[in-house]
Amino acid sequence: LQTLHLGSCVIITNLQKIQSEFSEIRDSVQANDQNIDFRVLRNAGSLQDTEPSDRCCLLRHLLGLYLDRVFRNYQTSDHHTLRKISSLANSFLTIKKDLQLCHTYTTCHCGEEATEKYRQILSHFEQLEPQAAAVKVLGELDILLRWMKETE
Amino acid sequence: DGGEALPAPQNLSVHSANMKHLLMWSPVVLPRETVYYSVEYQGEYESLYTSHIWIPSKWCSPIEDAECDVSDDITATVPYNLRVRAILGSQTSAWSILEQPFNRNSTILTPPGMEVSRNGFHLVIELEDLGPQFEFLVVYWRRELDTKEHAKVLRRGGIPVHLETMEPGAPYCVKAQAQVKAIGRNSAFSQAECVEVQGEALPL
Repeated sequence: LQTLHLGSCVIITNLQKIQSEFSEIRDSVQANDQNIDFRVLRNAGSLQDTEPSDRCCLLRHLLGLYLDRVFRNYQTSDHHTLRKISSLANSFLTIKKDLQLCHTYTTCHCGEEATEKYRQILSHFEQLEPQAAAVKVLGELDILLRWMKETE
Repeated sequence: DGGEALPAPQNLSVHSANMKHLLMWSPVVLPRETVYYSVEYQGEYESLYTSHIWIPSKWCSPIEDAECDVSDDITATVPYNLRVRAILGSQTSAWSILEQPFNRNSTILTPPGMEVSRNGFHLVIELEDLGPQFEFLVVYWRRELDTKEHAKVLRRGGIPVHLETMEPGAPYCVKAQAQVKAIGRNSAFSQAECVEVQGEALPL
């Protein structure tokens, strides 16, 4: 298990398991990406160079994006991929609940920087069709996981 | 085929011990027929965000037994809905859904099986291999007046581990507890097991 330090919000999660679940479907997901010259997460700098106090808010928004608009819109008839996405989604839901607790105890403050960074990500995301955007950002999950690992 | 609907499986329940989760139900019995079953699951994410989606179980879509190991399906510590239906040829029954969602944090954790032995003067323990989600807290001490306990965390079972080099003259005792960080819970400690090295206690 890994401990993520997001300003004064500290959560414990199993990044290694999430990483290994995603690695089982990464190639097939990225093979479906028709917009290979387009980036969503990479352009927005990293969680690491976000103010520590802002990281919790940015991560909460990003997880919300994955839960609301990535896992939900990713279409597949392959049972193995379906199972892996379910595992990722339920793990992200668990993390989001922990971040929600921090938010409740006002340790998940949304500063200007986090808000702007997320706005950038969203504007890139919305330049693609919903399903294409879901494929793109699911394919970029390594970037998010690396961001999260950097806060260990 | 009398055109009667295939009955749905009844009495669904989950028996979970040491992170092994077994979904069980009453079999559908039809004379001279082999009935199969299909199991599907839904994590909390699916029930909240995509409630129409059910995912075929990894090992039981289909299966002949009236039970299904869903351990590989239940991969997060959130409530899971589970459902089963019967299959006979092209006929399928209605779905039966587990009454209460199952969360793996309710699994029963038993004290780990262990083998305490001595190899010459070495105190050795081998713990039951319960799978990758388990760690073990091992506590050991030399049974004498001012007993001082020592503790060691072992990352896995199934391999012998050296705990201590013993001195003759007093037994050494060991007990162990299983720990599952994914659900933040521990088992009770096992019964203590003691071994002793024969011979005189060495003069100080």
